[in-house]
Amino acid sequence: MSLFWIVIRQLAEIEAMTDLLQAMSKKVITREEWEKKLNDVKIRKEDMNKLVMNFLVTEGYVEAAEKFRMESGTEPDIDLATITDRMAVKKAVQCGNVEDAIEKVNDLNPEILDTNPQLFFHLQQQRLIELIRNGKVEEALEFAQEELAPRGEENQSFLEELERTVALLAFEDVSNCPVGELLDMSQRLKTASEVNAAILTSQSHEKDPKLPSLLKMLIWAQNQLDKKAAYPRINDLSTAKLEDPSV
Amino acid sequence: MPSSVSPATSASRPSTDLVARLSSSDLQVQLKALRDIKNQIIGNRTKKLTFIKLGAVPAVASVLADAFDAASCCASSSDLVVQSAAALGSFACGVDAGVRAVIDAGALPYFVRLLSSSDEKVVDSGARSLKMIYQSKLAPKYDFSEKVNMDFLLSLLNSENENVNGLGAGIITHSCETSAEQKVLCDNGVLLKLIDFLEGSISQRDASLESLASVMKDNTEVTSKFVEYEGGRALNLLVKLTSERSTRTRLLACACLIIIRNVSPGYLKGKGIETKLICYLLELLEEPGQVGDEASFTLSSFIEDKEDLQKLAFDANAIDLLCTHLQKDLLQPQRLEGILLALAHICSRLEVCRAKLLPMQAFDSVNDALRHDCADVRAAACMCMRSVSRSVQNLSAGFFMNEKIVLPLLQLLHDPTLSVQLAALRAISNIVVDFRTRKSSFVRWGGVKQLVQLSMSMNPSIRSNSLWALKNLTFDADNKCKEGVYGELTASSLASLIGDPEPPVQEQALALVRNLIDGSLDSVQYVFAEDSIVLDAVGRQLQRASTAEVGMQGMYVLCNVASGGEVHKDAVMDQLLRDTKNSSSPFITQFLQSNDSRLRTASVWVVVNLTTPSCRGVSSRIGKLRNAGIISQLKNMVNDPCLDVKLRVRTILGQYMTFGDS
Repeated sequence: MSLFWIVIRQLAEIEAMTDLLQAMSKKVITREEWEKKLNDVKIRKEDMNKLVMNFLVTEGYVEAAEKFRMESGTEPDIDLATITDRMAVKKAVQCGNVEDAIEKVNDLNPEILDTNPQLFFHLQQQRLIELIRNGKVEEALEFAQEELAPRGEENQSFLEELERTVALLAFEDVSNCPVGELLDMSQRLKTASEVNAAILTSQSHEKDPKLPSLLKMLIWAQNQLDKKAAYPRINDLSTAKLEDPSV
Repeated sequence: MPSSVSPATSASRPSTDLVARLSSSDLQVQLKALRDIKNQIIGNRTKKLTFIKLGAVPAVASVLADAFDAASCCASSSDLVVQSAAALGSFACGVDAGVRAVIDAGALPYFVRLLSSSDEKVVDSGARSLKMIYQSKLAPKYDFSEKVNMDFLLSLLNSENENVNGLGAGIITHSCETSAEQKVLCDNGVLLKLIDFLEGSISQRDASLESLASVMKDNTEVTSKFVEYEGGRALNLLVKLTSERSTRTRLLACACLIIIRNVSPGYLKGKGIETKLICYLLELLEEPGQVGDEASFTLSSFIEDKEDLQKLAFDANAIDLLCTHLQKDLLQPQRLEGILLALAHICSRLEVCRAKLLPMQAFDSVNDALRHDCADVRAAACMCMRSVSRSVQNLSAGFFMNEKIVLPLLQLLHDPTLSVQLAALRAISNIVVDFRTRKSSFVRWGGVKQLVQLSMSMNPSIRSNSLWALKNLTFDADNKCKEGVYGELTASSLASLIGDPEPPVQEQALALVRNLIDGSLDSVQYVFAEDSIVLDAVGRQLQRASTAEVGMQGMYVLCNVASGGEVHKDAVMDQLLRDTKNSSSPFITQFLQSNDSRLRTASVWVVVNLTTPSCRGVSSRIGKLRNAGIISQLKNMVNDPCLDVKLRVRTILGQYMTFGDS
């Protein structure tokens, strides 16, 4: 929570600056002045560490999180062992071992797939896609009929997706057919991140890391300030380099 | 295994084998079979039902029982415990037959015992499975008044394990219904614990919100305790939660605030929360899945019967938004039902709302929904039709009396679902009020025939509602229409409906007669047909009138008859004074002393018509009324608190002065 307040405080300071600037339209702030102002903003090391830990945990970098915990003494807000499990599920989907992924999710928490029909359907759909990818036509048809058709009966939009998926079977050259994107790696990644998010939610954890939101706020604040002043701006987020205003 | 399920399909044979393997003596085989079953049924309703039919639930339950007893000595048993508990929990998730089977298999006590295990995984599995059970209506009711039970519940809420906390909250949500239960929970500190959870993890928060709703519902005492907690801190927390990231949390927080608003509007006044709640809920409609489905129902519970909130919803553009959703393709039945209900509630009181909805294209979708496969959707569509057809303006314009709207509604009169039949009847009741011009179309489409058939139904609500529709149809109708109704119904059925055992049916039957004979003198003859069978039935029912409403409608029938000539008036006199030789006073004397001013008004009107100076035989009738003590009763009423009664009484006494003493 304290992180949030820091950002708000920063925003408030920028706002205050903006107010000051409003009188003289588009004031130019030199790099020197700007850096001095930034130096006055205090950010606690612990808060920075928590942000980093939140990112590592949410994204599933379990070894890095473990090392970071030992080095910085920052406690993760979730049991690190659960990250390993979550990553194993994610990896299984990414490699196309969907059945394995489903079993792993069910071991983790049977409620996840029992109470989330959409996710369950997407996993089953991914299973079907993998069968088709591997040329197991007969098995694919049987699976679609046995496992997926009943879901389609329960839900119209599932039925549409199912029809789209089964359409893959109708084409000789699937890479060139209208529904070919289902076979893309991106489809696996999409399914994998849906599972990842569901597991995080089931563990009472936010499904997105906080760092990207902070960066979004930074960009928003800069855009606000742009209307009123020229100042050293961060354009490249990865380097966070202050670039002199082009006046 | 002897197959009781024959012929076995290719899919069910492996399932049968799996169930058989549950009773293997080899623990590894057992474990493998359990895991297979579990992974097949999770998320898969059809598979659950298949395995339940194969008797898998008692088999899994007995694995749990055996493994539980052995769990202390070996690790593989504890694996069996976790897997079997998880499988049973999944059987109970979302499938009633599963819940019943798990309860019948005696698994509940074992789940409870799992909660005190030292192995966290075992505890989790027990708590999750019990939680699933308590999410179902079929779960046994938890008795909070027993001290042991309360202690157990408190131990669940105070546990360090969030799944166990969730179970505690789930039990409250499931079993807390009466105000006594709400009070005992509150007295034992449950309310404070739930407030604590509002600041806990996502799962604690959501579970707490649901329980808070059931602990506060319709309970002033508990709700005010919550609202006043630490100067409004709990309430502020709740308001904050309406803008949480998690849409589920937002929805539950809104629902909780609505419960508070419904207990007393004062708690949320002046905070502008009401408009915000409506906007939040409209926003949540966009969500896929359960949250979006429930949002419209929550909105309905908020605006139902509250005109001010319906206006706020209108101002928040709710009708446009709901209609946009209504026109989307592939709507799930529950979502469609919710949207139709919300529209029905918004349009239930305010003409502006109806005027907005009716010309919209989405109104066609409401009409289409009358033919939907799902009964709940059909019923909701009927309710929507009923609300919009309250528009007098559109009724006058004959907007609803067309084949496109009426024919599907008539079809629903034969719907296999009672709630749909009733909802269709109520919509038709409004539509047939239609002012005269098109009532004949309704007769031509066979509407009267169907309504008359339903008036003979075994179900009293169907009888009274179909009579209600007939009553509205005959309101201000021409003779041809009345003739149609009367001819179809016949005097003898009408008489037996007046004598129905159920007061609401009696009331509607009498009201129907009242409308039938209103207007022209010809129609008064209906009550004299077949040896005055109908008029007699009216008189008999009035003598034992069980409710003021029945009395009132009956008196208006007499009033309409008494507006006729001498014969008619004398016939009414006979009914008024029937059996007075035996009993002490005629029924009209009791009616005149009723607390219900509507009944007094109706009764006084009868006497007004009987004592009209211009009609022959007036002095004889006045004489009889005096002898029966009715005139002296009226003299006591010259200062009746009801203005209408007071004026009519004075009219009668004026007429009495002129003729009575002569």
